[in-house]
Amino acid sequence: MIHVRKLTKRYTDMRTGDFTALAGISFDAMPGQIFGLLGPNGAGKTTTLRILSTVLQPSEGTAVVNGFDVVKNAEQVRRQIGFVSTNTAIYDRMTAWEMVQYFGQLYGLPLDELHRRMESLFERFKMNNIRDVLGSKMSTGMKQKVSIVRAMIHDPPVLIFDEATSGLDILAAREVLKTVEQVRDHGKCVLFSSHIMSEVQRLCDRVAIMHRGSVLAEGTIEELSDQYDEQDLEELFFQLISASEKQTDAHDLVDTVFTQ
Amino acid sequence: MKWPNVKLIFFRELRDQMRDRRTLFTVAIMPMVLYPLMGMAMLQVAQFMREYPTKVWVVGHENLPESPPFIIEGELNGDFITPQDARLLQICMSREGDQEFHKLIRQFREQSEMTHAPQLVDQLIQSEMRSRGVDVAVFIPKPIELATEPFDETHPDQQRGSPSIYLFQNTAVDQSRIGAQRIRTALGHWQKALIKETLRENNVRASLIDGVRISEADVADKAGKKAAAWSKIFPFIVMIWSLTGAFYPAIDLCAGEKERGTFETLLSSPAARSEIAIGKLLTVMSFSMATSILNLLSMGFTGLFVVSRMGGTAMGGGLPMVAPPIASIGWLLLALIPISALFSAVALAAAAFARSSKEGQYYLVPLMMISMPLMMVPMLPAAKLDFGSSLIPVSGLMLLLRGLIEGQYSECLKFAGPVCAVTLACCWFAIRWVVYQFNSESVLFRPSERFGVGTWFRYVMRERDQLPSFGSVILLAIVILVGKFFIGFVIQTPLNFGDFAKQTVIILVATIAVPTIMMALVLTRNARKSLKLHRCTLPMACAAVLAAILLNPAFTWFTSLVMYIYPPADDLFLLNETVGNIVSTSPGIWATIAVFALVPAIIEELAFRGFILSGFESMRNRWQAIVLASIFFGITHGVLQQSVITFGVGLVLGLIAIQTRSILPCILFHLTHNSLAVLLSAAEPTVIENSLILKTVLMTTDGVHYQYGMLPGIAMTVLGISLLVWFIRLDGKERPLLGTGVESWIAGFRKSTQPSV
Repeated sequence: MIHVRKLTKRYTDMRTGDFTALAGISFDAMPGQIFGLLGPNGAGKTTTLRILSTVLQPSEGTAVVNGFDVVKNAEQVRRQIGFVSTNTAIYDRMTAWEMVQYFGQLYGLPLDELHRRMESLFERFKMNNIRDVLGSKMSTGMKQKVSIVRAMIHDPPVLIFDEATSGLDILAAREVLKTVEQVRDHGKCVLFSSHIMSEVQRLCDRVAIMHRGSVLAEGTIEELSDQYDEQDLEELFFQLISASEKQTDAHDLVDTVFTQ
Repeated sequence: MKWPNVKLIFFRELRDQMRDRRTLFTVAIMPMVLYPLMGMAMLQVAQFMREYPTKVWVVGHENLPESPPFIIEGELNGDFITPQDARLLQICMSREGDQEFHKLIRQFREQSEMTHAPQLVDQLIQSEMRSRGVDVAVFIPKPIELATEPFDETHPDQQRGSPSIYLFQNTAVDQSRIGAQRIRTALGHWQKALIKETLRENNVRASLIDGVRISEADVADKAGKKAAAWSKIFPFIVMIWSLTGAFYPAIDLCAGEKERGTFETLLSSPAARSEIAIGKLLTVMSFSMATSILNLLSMGFTGLFVVSRMGGTAMGGGLPMVAPPIASIGWLLLALIPISALFSAVALAAAAFARSSKEGQYYLVPLMMISMPLMMVPMLPAAKLDFGSSLIPVSGLMLLLRGLIEGQYSECLKFAGPVCAVTLACCWFAIRWVVYQFNSESVLFRPSERFGVGTWFRYVMRERDQLPSFGSVILLAIVILVGKFFIGFVIQTPLNFGDFAKQTVIILVATIAVPTIMMALVLTRNARKSLKLHRCTLPMACAAVLAAILLNPAFTWFTSLVMYIYPPADDLFLLNETVGNIVSTSPGIWATIAVFALVPAIIEELAFRGFILSGFESMRNRWQAIVLASIFFGITHGVLQQSVITFGVGLVLGLIAIQTRSILPCILFHLTHNSLAVLLSAAEPTVIENSLILKTVLMTTDGVHYQYGMLPGIAMTVLGISLLVWFIRLDGKERPLLGTGVESWIAGFRKSTQPSV
């Protein structure tokens, strides 16, 4: 469903020159699966997901979503995905109903079908009480619900959640996680990025641990546990990251010695 | 582009803005409330604005003749002043102490005439007036008596001239200035009456002093007068408000959305970037037009109301403030569409670049500063719509609008074509710019970085390319323009050829050569390639010289055409004459050619066909690069006529530069072109008549001034164009033959400046 190959993204930074946000990562995510991207802040999770949602263009490498290339068929890709991120807010001066309807129309859904879907989604997410509430008057949890419904309105085969629970209280977060599970059970391909271990452990069928723009390890949680002989995901994560940091430091040292 | 998506985005943004209190306030509430409030305030203030009487001090009133009396019982004679003005003048007669002052002034007057220190007297009088609290002083030093006896040269009394009255005022104080004006008018009437009376006493017809009566009449019809008043104000108000009205929604729709995080939501929807850009542009345009119209309506109605309450004429100017003619409103609404489109696109592009609403606000002032002079043009009385002014963006449209409102259809509609073409081109470019900004990742996701000059310089050095970047080309153009502007203050008019030569070389080196070479060394990785310091083949070099000779008639005719379309101003003739006089002191024709042809050819080619053309070439296709570089070449020549001509020459030079990949042929072309101009203006008739070739090519009507004959000129142009075709077919296939030698020097310099790693 999602095939990422040697995806690279470089930015020019005034201070450091070329900055590599993604250093050639590869992974595959399948339908009916939740694929987790686990990594500390700045690991490159958001950049990966932005490329998959066609908001950014990769410097090198390819990414194919449901058979469409993110660079060559950007518009088709956007129709295949629902993108929920901390950076995709909802409009303050629009009600929940207007917001979802607007995006449904942008996806080109016929109005009667759109309204049918909206009724069922609003019912399912128990949002009928906030139908006519403006975005500015909603709580963070409500906003996130509207975002999720907005992303699901066109029934996309792929859903991308980028740190979808950040800033939510425990009740709202649980609800979001429940939704993500439901979506997977409907046979969708879900990409879920987070830096919270428990979420990933609970939800994800497969996990890629990312650090400094690279994938350090990838597999099911069981596979990873077996491979690194560590049952606790948090401990495993910490080991991988420290090993990677040491390696980078050693590389830096070698570089420094040789240049001198 | 899918129009349903554009429509969807447009309606959403429109509704969104309508729900925003700030936007609604700026667009609708402010104009509807602000002007009536201002009008009310004005009416209120007007009630309190009573004019207080001016205190006039009359020193030496006993010297005034009894008939006709100027002052009756301490007040000015009603025959010489309107009752309204008389109420505003309070006359104070001199008392005993004033007699002393009277002497003092006379003493000082006489003294100042000898010592030429009138300031001392002025100060004394001013302090004396201030101590008495008077605004105006009238001083009659001697009894006024008009001499009536026949003129006699030998009589001593008759040589002294007429008696005088002094009027002291302080022009720095309005009260004093206005009071003095009233007194002056009254004195004028009184003087006339005095002369009439004296003439009558001497049996001369009193009407003699009226002389020839001059009668004036205003033949403008009422509609024309109405239109004239509105034609100057209307376009200006419309422009200002359409820019302001575009700016705030633009910031909210781009920078504001970035801040609120809804921009990425929209970008990840199926709507294409161009659809988003156009949808937002239409929204901004609607608000721009609405702001303009609402402001105009509110201002107009308030203005009419206030004026009707204050008595029919606008304050100060005596402008007839009546409702504008319907036709002018129609033209205005029609012109509003392209104006709003242009300003909206510019505002949207600036707003898309901004990271936050706050940053967006910073861009408003520079935008206003740039567009303001263009908008002011139709307010100038001398501004006229002609072919030249019709090509200036915004100004051309304003002048056309002004002409249409004034009803000069036949004169104005001739230029409607160029005005519309320029305006549409500007709109197109601005919209393209907006779409480009929306497609650019670095603009949409611009991170906020800590800025430091050192960091920035290191960044520039690290990121510099083989060839100049677009930014460095613009920087060089600005440096050259600013340098020329400032050096204009420093230089003095040269007196002889030596000074002139020195000055020309210094200006060219300081403003063009030094910045160009420095920037090529610092801002590019390959200075040699950037300046096109490559060899060229012998055929290329010869072809360049030949092309310059063969195309000379065409350029001469082009120059005449430009001079016909844009007739040069008088000061340009004066300048030409000065330069001509200086050139006549030249030690020889070779010196003149060195100054006018050789030095400019080398230096200007380095900058324009070297650095600037290379910069444009690296990002545009070659034809666009040639046109852009030629525009810069033209602009730096300052004078309009010269700019247009050099633009034309620049096109040919750019073509040669790109096809030969070397500036050597360009230097040769430029040198030959300028040398021919010098030689043709200096050629003696005898030389021409004795040469078979020159006699065939050139013709004269007066035996002094020579120009190209029609047939030889056309033949030369055809040959010249075929040479250019040869250049076009070259495509850099020829092998280089000649060396410049400069590259080794530059390579050496670069090695020594490169930091060791």
